[in-house]
Amino acid sequence: MDYIVANDLTVTFRPANRNPLTALAGFGLRVARGEFVSLVGPSGCGKSTFLNVVLGLLRADAGEIRIDGRAIAGPSPDRAMVFQEFGLLPWRTVLGNVELGLELKGVAPAARQRRAAELIDLVGLRGFERHYPHELSGGMKQRVGLARALATDPNVLLMDEPFASLDAQTRDLMQAELLQIWDQSKKTVLFVTHSIEEAAYLSDRVVVVSARPGRHKAEIPVRLPRPRDYEMRLSPEFNDLKLAIWTALKEELTATRT
Amino acid sequence: MLNALGRRRRMVLGCGSVVVFVGAWEIAFSTVVRWDPFFITKPSLIAAAFREQILGGKLWKDMAVSGEAFLAGFALAVVVGIPVGAVMGWRRRAEYALDPLLTALYASPLIALAPLLIITMGVGIVAKAVLVFLLAVFPFIFNTFAGVRCTDPLLINVVRAFGGRERDLYLKVILPGVVPYIVAGARLAIGRGLIGILVGEFYAASEGLGFAISRFGDTYRLPEMFTGILVLAVVAVGLTGAVRKLEAMVAPWRAGQQER
Repeated sequence: MDYIVANDLTVTFRPANRNPLTALAGFGLRVARGEFVSLVGPSGCGKSTFLNVVLGLLRADAGEIRIDGRAIAGPSPDRAMVFQEFGLLPWRTVLGNVELGLELKGVAPAARQRRAAELIDLVGLRGFERHYPHELSGGMKQRVGLARALATDPNVLLMDEPFASLDAQTRDLMQAELLQIWDQSKKTVLFVTHSIEEAAYLSDRVVVVSARPGRHKAEIPVRLPRPRDYEMRLSPEFNDLKLAIWTALKEELTATRT
Repeated sequence: MLNALGRRRRMVLGCGSVVVFVGAWEIAFSTVVRWDPFFITKPSLIAAAFREQILGGKLWKDMAVSGEAFLAGFALAVVVGIPVGAVMGWRRRAEYALDPLLTALYASPLIALAPLLIITMGVGIVAKAVLVFLLAVFPFIFNTFAGVRCTDPLLINVVRAFGGRERDLYLKVILPGVVPYIVAGARLAIGRGLIGILVGEFYAASEGLGFAISRFGDTYRLPEMFTGILVLAVVAVGLTGAVRKLEAMVAPWRAGQQER
């Protein structure tokens, strides 16, 4: 249960000419190795901030966070993020984008291209290696983002509302593909989303984050069997799950509005 | 459908209208219109003068002289303009300090300084190159500045997230992002630079394309004058076209966003 441990995390932003903003206050979370955990909460509650702290791009002002017992010292090939707005480099081909992490790690060109090609195949984009991002649809771009994140074979996959920019059908498709890929690799996943349904469908556990400043408010374990299939979303257990999540979330949504 | 017409079709249409225009001019001036050779001329005479100039060799010499001055001024504009623009993009202080001054200069008709430059630096390549530089440097400054400023912060985060250090940010995000802006700046700078060389040679020069144009104009040798203008137009179109091609090569991801 203690692969990722966050204790009493506080993160405050201090932009110039504006009041300081505390995104997380006393946030705590424990994640087991290979667990798929979703974070839901109102907008601005600090879920993405937490992801950035785990990634190593942000430093917490107080509290501690450890992965496998070690403190986080900055980004590492061990943790990779899939971004909501894709974040693909427009001047690079699909192959060039996927191999970014490997390139920055110092892997030789032949080896990294081979690995990148494997992943491009895994996410179903074989044949598109030489395409540019502007030639791809949203779903395809996000697959590139996923392939890129998986390229360095990280232990922790951080996903920041990865499917929010996609249409409903593509979103469903990508969810199923993600589960397939995850089933094979069993990486530890932290998944941020606004969709209760998505959180319940994908995860082992759904964590509800309070309104800003974010705190760990509630946890709902998801005991549905794996592999998950679409029909499960129509079952009464699933509805109960969504109700439980919604009940915890509801208070936080009204809290933000005041 | 915007792309319904193929390239060939577009070229035919474009050339077609030029042919119609020239044809109408020639026919009208050969038959119906009465014209004074001091003030206007017609295509067939221009063509004859063109042929004579090309074979005679003076045209090439003039082009070489103008070209040399243009290239010198343009190269200087690149070497000075890009770093200044980059520094303005990187450091807010530099931007605040330089922006008002440079904007004012950019907007001013610097071409009016041409006579002054000739007086101080004499007739010759230096004055011409300086004039070209003054006109061509600003698009490079402002476009480089815009390019650096328009760096997508998301991409900076992405490269950092995957382990990029400062050097990687410059090489993998900022530089590739700036290049299309610089090339677009080059396209503007060419137009302005050509004006510089032309006007510079109008005022005081002993050789060069602009000099030839103004001298022929002064002596009422209109077909020869139009030849010069035509050559300049072809050079301008050729250079701008080449840079457009370069833009498309250098920034294929923007090809879908712009038609021109």
